[in-house]
Amino acid sequence: MARRVLIVDDHARFRRIARRALERDGWTIVGEASDGEEALHAVRALEPDVVVIDVGLPGMSGLQVARRVRDEMPELLVVVMSTRDSADYHELAVASGARGFLPKAELSSAALAALVSD
Amino acid sequence: MRMEQAVARAVAGATDAGDAYTRALQAIAEALEWPLAAAWEPNAHDPDELGCVAIWAADEEGPRAFADLTRTLSLRPGEGLPGRVWRSGRPVWITDAALDAHLPRQRAAATSGLHAAVAFPVRSERGLVGVIEIFGAQQREPDAALVAALEVAGAHLGQLVERRRAEGSRHASEQRYRATLQAALDCVVTMDHRGRVVEFNPAAERTFGYRSEDAIGREMAELIVPPDLRESHRRGLARYLAGGAPRVLDQRFEIEAVRADGTRFPVELAITRIDVPGPPLFTGYLRDITERRRAETELRESRARVVEAGDAARRRIERDLHDGAQQQLVSVAISLRAARDRIADDPIGASALLDDAIEDLAEGLAELRELARGIHPVVLMEGGLEPAVRGLVRRSSVPARLLSAPAGRLPHAVESAAYFVVAEALTNVTRHAAGATLVEIALTRANGRLVVEVRDDAGGGADPEGGGLRGLADRIAALDGTLDVHSPVGGGTTIHAELPCAS
Repeated sequence: MARRVLIVDDHARFRRIARRALERDGWTIVGEASDGEEALHAVRALEPDVVVIDVGLPGMSGLQVARRVRDEMPELLVVVMSTRDSADYHELAVASGARGFLPKAELSSAALAALVSD
Repeated sequence: MRMEQAVARAVAGATDAGDAYTRALQAIAEALEWPLAAAWEPNAHDPDELGCVAIWAADEEGPRAFADLTRTLSLRPGEGLPGRVWRSGRPVWITDAALDAHLPRQRAAATSGLHAAVAFPVRSERGLVGVIEIFGAQQREPDAALVAALEVAGAHLGQLVERRRAEGSRHASEQRYRATLQAALDCVVTMDHRGRVVEFNPAAERTFGYRSEDAIGREMAELIVPPDLRESHRRGLARYLAGGAPRVLDQRFEIEAVRADGTRFPVELAITRIDVPGPPLFTGYLRDITERRRAETELRESRARVVEAGDAARRRIERDLHDGAQQQLVSVAISLRAARDRIADDPIGASALLDDAIEDLAEGLAELRELARGIHPVVLMEGGLEPAVRGLVRRSSVPARLLSAPAGRLPHAVESAAYFVVAEALTNVTRHAAGATLVEIALTRANGRLVVEVRDDAGGGADPEGGGLRGLADRIAALDGTLDVHSPVGGGTTIHAELPCAS
């Protein structure tokens, strides 16, 4: 099962929280990135199984990053997150090639596993 | 005939109607060698009452006393000598007025040594306009030839007096018109049918930069109409003079005019045709509306900026909420969820997660408090300007000092504007004034104004339009105040705001 995760968010505090929540349940956080360019570099260098990306990144948006990742590495599993409602973003996320959308407040090991399994 | 000529000669040099009467009375009385003559006319306020409008008396005691009495009298139609003539429209001759008991002035005539009396109508094109009476020193029987001559003189005098009176009122109205023109705030420019200037008032001189004597006689189009509008102006005048329907007369419109130095400016204009015999004259009333236009533009721009500032503030609040408190709450939610998932198997781990949640919650609350204060500080409403500014000073990342603050409360809008001037100035120092070591703030109240001064000791060179200063300037302008930024390179930055705050 895919357990190697890259976290992409411009808020360091959220990256820390997400890392803590996922590592406790056995996920491996292979790296963190704070914007789209960094994320694309990390994806190529670290070869994660899963990338979780915040929508509201400075510069390139999370959805744009998701499209680039899909184009370059279609086998990679992308999950888009936002503090905003899933109603706003779910369809956009899927259209960008993501496996799904996760409201940030609902991030947990179980929620992530549900999106990336099968 | 001699009488009529004497009257005409006497009246010729008269300055006004009253003077014409006096001269005519003297001429008639002297021609007859009678010592007193008086002219009567209906009163302006009561046409049924005759009053003495002019009198001439020989320089003797009797006639002078009779003249004094006559001046004070008013007579109804049919009453006394003038009243009888006024009612009948015909001359009246009394052989001896001192003996006629029906006359109100019989006794005075007797004691003044006046006897023969003749009164005759003064006529003009309007009909009967007055009555002249003359008194002799002796009794005298009626003289038909003299009466006829006096009637002719009366008709002549009536016309002369009316003409003088018309001239007088024309002169007075001309004087009033001149005075109005001189004092008018609007430019008044009159042109003739050839388009030449015939009148150019002082306001026009000031506005257009020509002296009246230089403007008069020149073509108006060439003088004050911008070059590209001259042809249509000339065509319009020609079309109207050829019988075309007026297109611009008697309505207000806005157009451009040009000054002597070639600068164009907007004017409000109304043109009216002056009704004079012969070729028409046209008067234009013009008002320079540059200042009004400028104020309108400024108001429009300022409104747009206020709206934009409101939008920007909302965007900033949304971003601050999203980046701050919302992130904290997301963290709290994640920690709580994780704690719930492991509370059965790993109570110690769950407890650590709950501690994280509590910490994040405290930070989120602090962020919300800070944000709320930025939107509108509660302490400003509750405690006034001084404690609110002290709060800003305490939280400033560059050391700051409040030098003075006015005692007591000021109008809320004034306190608010002053607070945000200080807040914005401190934010700008933190963001832009590298090397600042101290900010000094002084709030003083003088002459019904609150003066806010914020001075830093950094390198200066601040952009007065930059940062939040433009928005602050609008906020202050809305309160009729002023905002100045003094920021010489190398000399520190001083922000100086003044706000009216009538107590």
